[in-house]
Amino acid sequence: MSAHDPRFDDLAPAYLLGALEPHEAEAFTAHLDGCDACREQLVHLKPATDALPHGVPQVEAPPALKGRIMAVVQAEAELLRAAGDAADRPAPAPAPARRSWLPGWLGRPAFALAAVLVVLVAGAVAGVAVSGSGSGTRSVVAQTAPKGSAVRLLVRHADGHSTLTATGLPGAGADRVYQVWLRKGDGDPRPTNALFTPDNGGSASVDVPGDVDGQDVLVTSEPSGGSRTPTTKPIIAVSTA
Amino acid sequence: MVVTPPAADARDPRAMADEDLMHLVAAADPQAFEVLYERHSGPAFSLAYRMVGTRNAAEDVVQEAFLNLWRSGGRYDRARGSVRTWVLGIVHHRAIDALRRSSVHEKRRTGDDEIAERLEAPERTDVQAARSEEAVVVREAMETLPAEQAQVVELAYFGGFSHSEIADILSMPIGTVKGRMRLALEKLRSRLSGGAVGEMTA
Repeated sequence: MSAHDPRFDDLAPAYLLGALEPHEAEAFTAHLDGCDACREQLVHLKPATDALPHGVPQVEAPPALKGRIMAVVQAEAELLRAAGDAADRPAPAPAPARRSWLPGWLGRPAFALAAVLVVLVAGAVAGVAVSGSGSGTRSVVAQTAPKGSAVRLLVRHADGHSTLTATGLPGAGADRVYQVWLRKGDGDPRPTNALFTPDNGGSASVDVPGDVDGQDVLVTSEPSGGSRTPTTKPIIAVSTA
Repeated sequence: MVVTPPAADARDPRAMADEDLMHLVAAADPQAFEVLYERHSGPAFSLAYRMVGTRNAAEDVVQEAFLNLWRSGGRYDRARGSVRTWVLGIVHHRAIDALRRSSVHEKRRTGDDEIAERLEAPERTDVQAARSEEAVVVREAMETLPAEQAQVVELAYFGGFSHSEIADILSMPIGTVKGRMRLALEKLRSRLSGGAVGEMTA
């Protein structure tokens, strides 16, 4: 049975307009599972917010933007093809536990991209299982990553060379930078000279020096210029073991 | 969603429907992605620009949104609506994040002047007023809203302000803000009946 909780009164319109804070949106989507009234209101009003973008003045996207985006897309497609599983990649796992009446974009990065991470885990696990010929690339999803981000490590079998790619990362902070570390087992993290900051959109792609096989890849926020030992806890951890 | 990709080499992506291209994107097909980008980048950039106000910031939003689509395309479910609606939803979301992250948002003036500015976008020579049927329907629907309802839609949907921030800006209880949001969307919804705008374009 689904009794409406008055604390969630009239949150559906705010949710559809994008006007809830992330934690409110998460609580609301959780509430939707059990509340017919809110779900019906959501489904009824969604066409209104779907229509809003259609009334804005139309501006052409700058042509150079396409080239930049396609460069990233082509590079990632190439890596996945090299892994040998792109063409018949298994279907991604369904997003967890949310029914089809919800808007396609679940409304908040923390929730929606967490669902994406589940999809990537399913895909990456299948990818690791499939690619075993000793050549090509495999994709490993980060075991630890900031809420709302999607982080994975693309590892080339031949030489252990890898690239860390991420979306949805928070900024490193003023005068700070993200630093990549390598750690073997329980040993101390060893610094690398791979320093990076995400772009305005939270995306980043960084080459990890050396051979990562059997090691963990960690990322911490450090002062500009990097550190010799981590001064903060890792926000990203990827195990290649 | 079970993905059975169509035989990609047998069909020209440019002749394929959006939903079928999404299957290919889920299988990491860059040509399919490229066609989707070409079809939807205009409306995507237009929404982003309307919200964040500068070309550079709009480009970042569009790039984020489309890369997100590329990396998580397997999540698209056609039962939820058209690919365009889905893309614009991602763009809207990213633009709100960008607005809330930027210091401009925090320093933004509040009060009638700024709201008035936001409600009347200045003419731009490089901008083409949307003339499509659906655009006319949406603009007319917005014009029928009482000013106080249009205001909350503008501040929330296009301005990226949360309902509690809007309550502060307008010095009113949050319940009033939520009520106006509901009334605005109900009114827009009733004006749009007879074929949802946004589903007209496949």
